[in-house]
Amino acid sequence: MLRSGFLFRGSSYGRGKIKVRGFDWKVIQNNLPFLLQGLLTTFQLAAIAIGGGLLLGTVLAVARLSSRRFIYAAVTLLIHLLRSLPLILVIFWFYFFMPILIGRPLNDFLSASIAFIIFEAAHFAEIIRAGIQSISKGQMQASLSTGLSYPQSMLYVVIPQALRNMIPSLLTQSVVIFQDTSLAFVIGVKEFLRSANIVDAREVRSLELYSFVGIVYFIFCFSMSRITKRWEKKKRSKV
Amino acid sequence: MIEIQNVSKWFGKFMVLDSINEVIHRNQVVVICGPSGSGKSTLLKCINGLESFQEGDIIVDGVSVRDKSTDLNKLRQNIGKVFQKFELYPHMSALQNITLAPIRAKKIRKSDAEQKAFALLERVGIRDQAHKYPGELSGGQQQRVAIARALAMEPQIMLFDEPTSALDPEMIKEVLDVMIDLAKTGMTMIVVTHEMNFAREVADEIIFMDGGRIVERATDSAFFENPKTDRAKDFLSKIFAVG
Repeated sequence: MLRSGFLFRGSSYGRGKIKVRGFDWKVIQNNLPFLLQGLLTTFQLAAIAIGGGLLLGTVLAVARLSSRRFIYAAVTLLIHLLRSLPLILVIFWFYFFMPILIGRPLNDFLSASIAFIIFEAAHFAEIIRAGIQSISKGQMQASLSTGLSYPQSMLYVVIPQALRNMIPSLLTQSVVIFQDTSLAFVIGVKEFLRSANIVDAREVRSLELYSFVGIVYFIFCFSMSRITKRWEKKKRSKV
Repeated sequence: MIEIQNVSKWFGKFMVLDSINEVIHRNQVVVICGPSGSGKSTLLKCINGLESFQEGDIIVDGVSVRDKSTDLNKLRQNIGKVFQKFELYPHMSALQNITLAPIRAKKIRKSDAEQKAFALLERVGIRDQAHKYPGELSGGQQQRVAIARALAMEPQIMLFDEPTSALDPEMIKEVLDVMIDLAKTGMTMIVVTHEMNFAREVADEIIFMDGGRIVERATDSAFFENPKTDRAKDFLSKIFAVG
């Protein structure tokens, strides 16, 4: 059972029964540079997804608050569409669609980056929209009444306050993105999980390798969620 | 000069302003009073274009508020507004609250804007609180910062929307004193308030609104001594019974 299935294909075919062997952590040590390279790719992909997603998400959020009906309707439809699709589908879709669109094959990392940015932008946009709407209308009115324009009022008055309220949700979403980058595996991006998978194909040390991957993911995600929790506590004590 | 010409406004089917006509001259102080829901605050919002209206027009110093080609941001620089709930920016110090618009909208140098802000804080009596955040100030202090923020753009007209009704009683006076000083310098002011002592002292005209209409207007003493409408009589008796 353990060695069947998609993820384990590389190491399971033709090997027959699983031999129960002792743990051998040396496999980690011996392949550490390669694994760390994968981890670095995971971080890069997460950073691109978070950074690009936040930027595009802010634009989408402001567009969703637009009083122009066409902009509102178009952006709302796009956001709902993206939020209804599984991420893996969006990754596949861009991987197969982009080459048709631009006429040449796209590097897998780039394709994954575009898919992540667009998918996460839709999720960030909803967090940001809720954050902006949590700021009282009076703040915008006060700012407008001093002669600042609408974009200036958004930039200097509303968004800084909204961001502060949003930080816990944004951090939580970022942790989810960090975990989700492992899905880039399916189009061949050599991120952390894929690296472990490649090493496993050669060394047949699934238990050690996937435990190691799990521990690393746990350490990062757990510490991030602790930070988020502390932030929320601090915010609550301030109010 | 503000000319309110036959302004009507509906929220859906509900009529909030019903054919309002009023002329407010330079240096005049006009107090608007009336029961809640009578359209006072909405009228103020229409004057600086924070709310739109369906009929009529408002001309501020020759510029139409309703005309699509009017640069509302420019117009608003000339009309300061003070809000019931202060609406200071909580993420900025008192000083930053005051200098934001001069720096960003008028493109004044930061050092000049700060110098001006200190002078304004001095004028409203809280220069020593310049670097505090709104959350660290009392209600009265916050409202005085809000007045300084509005004055920082050097407006010709000031609008006040129930500036003292969110304040504890002991803080009302410090805000009213600032407003009275301002009135005495010749500022054109439109003040929505129930502070009848303020009205008595500085108002050139009192407008009584009810149900989206102006039902009575008078110079101050006439209104208090001899309200013409029953609605105004009733309103005044309630105000003074509470006060």
